[in-house]
Amino acid sequence: MWAKTRSRNGRIALFMVGYLLVVLLIALLAAGGLAAGIVAIHAGQAERIVQTVLFALFLQAVFASNIMGFGLNAIFSDTELRRYPLAALDRRLARHLIGIVDPFWFFFLALEFGLAAGISVMGVGSFWRGTIAVLLLFISNYLFANVVALFVDRLMQRKGGPAIMLAVILALSLGPSLLAPVLKNNPAILPAVVARLQYTPPFGAAAAIVHYDMTAVYGFVTMAVWIVGLALLLIVLEKRAPQRQAAASVEMSWQSIFDRAGGLFGPRIGPFVGHWLRFYLRNTRTRLMALISLPILTFITVRTSERLGPHGLFVAALGTFPMATFMWTSRIAVNQFGYVGGAFRRYLLLPIEPVDIIRAASYASVALGALVLPIVLLAWIAFAPGPIDARMLVMLACSGITGLFAFNALGIWITLFNPRRGKYNSSFGNDLSLGGNIVVIGGVLSAFFLPTVLYRAWPDAVSPDFWRMILPLPLFAAAFYIGSLKAAGPIFTARREQLLAMVEGKA
Amino acid sequence: MDAIRLTNVVKKYGPVVAVEKLSLSVRAGTMFGFLGPNGSGKSTTIGCMTGLLDPSSGQIEILGQRFDADSAAIKRRIGVMPETLGLFEPLYAHEFLAFVARMFGLDETTTRRRVTELLEALELTDTSKTLSEYSTGMRKRVAFAAAVIHSPEVLFLDEPFESIDPAGVSLMKQWLRRFTDQGRTVFITSHVLETVERICTEVAIITQPGKLVWQGDINVLQHNGQEFDSLESLFLHLTGERSADLNWL
Repeated sequence: MWAKTRSRNGRIALFMVGYLLVVLLIALLAAGGLAAGIVAIHAGQAERIVQTVLFALFLQAVFASNIMGFGLNAIFSDTELRRYPLAALDRRLARHLIGIVDPFWFFFLALEFGLAAGISVMGVGSFWRGTIAVLLLFISNYLFANVVALFVDRLMQRKGGPAIMLAVILALSLGPSLLAPVLKNNPAILPAVVARLQYTPPFGAAAAIVHYDMTAVYGFVTMAVWIVGLALLLIVLEKRAPQRQAAASVEMSWQSIFDRAGGLFGPRIGPFVGHWLRFYLRNTRTRLMALISLPILTFITVRTSERLGPHGLFVAALGTFPMATFMWTSRIAVNQFGYVGGAFRRYLLLPIEPVDIIRAASYASVALGALVLPIVLLAWIAFAPGPIDARMLVMLACSGITGLFAFNALGIWITLFNPRRGKYNSSFGNDLSLGGNIVVIGGVLSAFFLPTVLYRAWPDAVSPDFWRMILPLPLFAAAFYIGSLKAAGPIFTARREQLLAMVEGKA
Repeated sequence: MDAIRLTNVVKKYGPVVAVEKLSLSVRAGTMFGFLGPNGSGKSTTIGCMTGLLDPSSGQIEILGQRFDADSAAIKRRIGVMPETLGLFEPLYAHEFLAFVARMFGLDETTTRRRVTELLEALELTDTSKTLSEYSTGMRKRVAFAAAVIHSPEVLFLDEPFESIDPAGVSLMKQWLRRFTDQGRTVFITSHVLETVERICTEVAIITQPGKLVWQGDINVLQHNGQEFDSLESLFLHLTGERSADLNWL
């Protein structure tokens, strides 16, 4: 089957299958939007429901694109387009017109379009006005996500930027939980907040979809103003050259913390592990993920626990502990050589066994992931309600270790068989291969849902009373990891020429 | 003794033949020039000789050892400056060179001394820039430093002089002469034939696909009884002069 997909006909068939799946998904999303529109009319709260749905979609698109990196890939950079006789405006338009033609944005467009169509089918609002409103919302959403991405990128390059970013993430993660009781106690605040939101693109779009009068015109004007403002802001941010954090000379240090940590792995492989630790931690996106992953996971743990009842926090933490160990290193861990560029050639020239090349990279990822485990365990001890239960700690540690080894084992296989050339310095955009995405997203979803599903289907499996049941899991995961490393050596040797061609952009 | 010996080496990429039954021997202590037109298989041949690529057939011996026996042992004795340089862009020059030195088993004192000396000699002491911010010439000098830092017995240099300023080239040539005077071997590919003619003692010319058409002493430029006054005229004779009349240009 695999060989067949490598043939010309196989690729055409694969493309067709993928195309049909995407069309099916878009149709499903549009149908979902249509249903939401119909429900909104039947509920007699058309405008409120449309406002809520569009606002939620707008925010989700911004978060998903910035955190997961979807929809922000620039196929051509401005520098690459400069070799052609194009004016600055042409280059900018070319980049963003290509950028917006991304399946990610079309999924959101389909949902929003379905909603507008549902509203018009039920006789409220016109189809064409709804379509124009959705298109304007679509453009403003794309621009807003790009502005946020660029702003964060520039912020991270400034001194103190990571600290500001952490504060923002904490506010966004914990804000809703803190605000909920305030809103509950002071219901009068809500209409005031909603009134302020009238000036946002989703509310403008809702007004344009639902109303026939001047309110619709007001909605269009709101979106137009946002689009112009965001476009100008985007141009200003793009024109600002990225600032280097270290403009001054760097003092030559011979034994950095990376080298000392690498030294723990012995003289043969130690310098290489040290090099990989430096490679991971000098990466802006890894550092950003290190900052934001723990607040995000805390938020997810707390929110998930609210639906689970007694022991809910513990069950949710069983899912988020593994995520904490791999989330921040995941991008490089599943594509170890995709970001080293021409330097991959150097690895093959070093006097080490080929298996050590893949080992060193993987050890660095595992070491960094393992560092998080004591931190989250200490956080659990400090902040979890009720008395400390040692069995819970053992189960949480086992869950974290299982995720760490299982994820990194899968990362080795994706590195070998489905790598992709990426940009080390890009802070945003999803540059992973299909396999990489499946492992990263699948890993997050499995870790997130598995304990919850077990809790509902087989509560004993996640109960501290049966804590011994989880003990074999980290052992299995470690065996899978060690087995993967052993098997990877000969495979890496056999595939090194293909990997070299891919990494150097010749394949 | 031969430092490098290739016997009937063939390298194929699928149906495409990149190197065709190439046999070559380079004596120890030689500054050897390996020439050929673009795409003739020079870099592929170096790739096979340095263990980057596996030859499809044939044998390669470096310092009497074969890669399939113990590749790490051979790599410890050779230095390579690849055409693509193979630099780790996010690192500073001293970090990169120290990493390479440690990987070649140099102790800390030697690593620090050699890195400092190389950076000073090659005028790479600007520590405010990472390798990605260096100019092409500076990057090339870093790659050269990485190739020699462990004082190898055989040095493979793929297009070493392009983009480097004349002072840098002059310094590198001095070092390479001293290198071969000590009985060590330098294997160079270059398109700058004047430089090759000036520093190499032996030359081999290949044509597409990796086919040896001439090997000999740089002082005896003869082919089929015909004498040539320069390496360039011999090279053009063997590889074929090209002409194209582009009226619009």
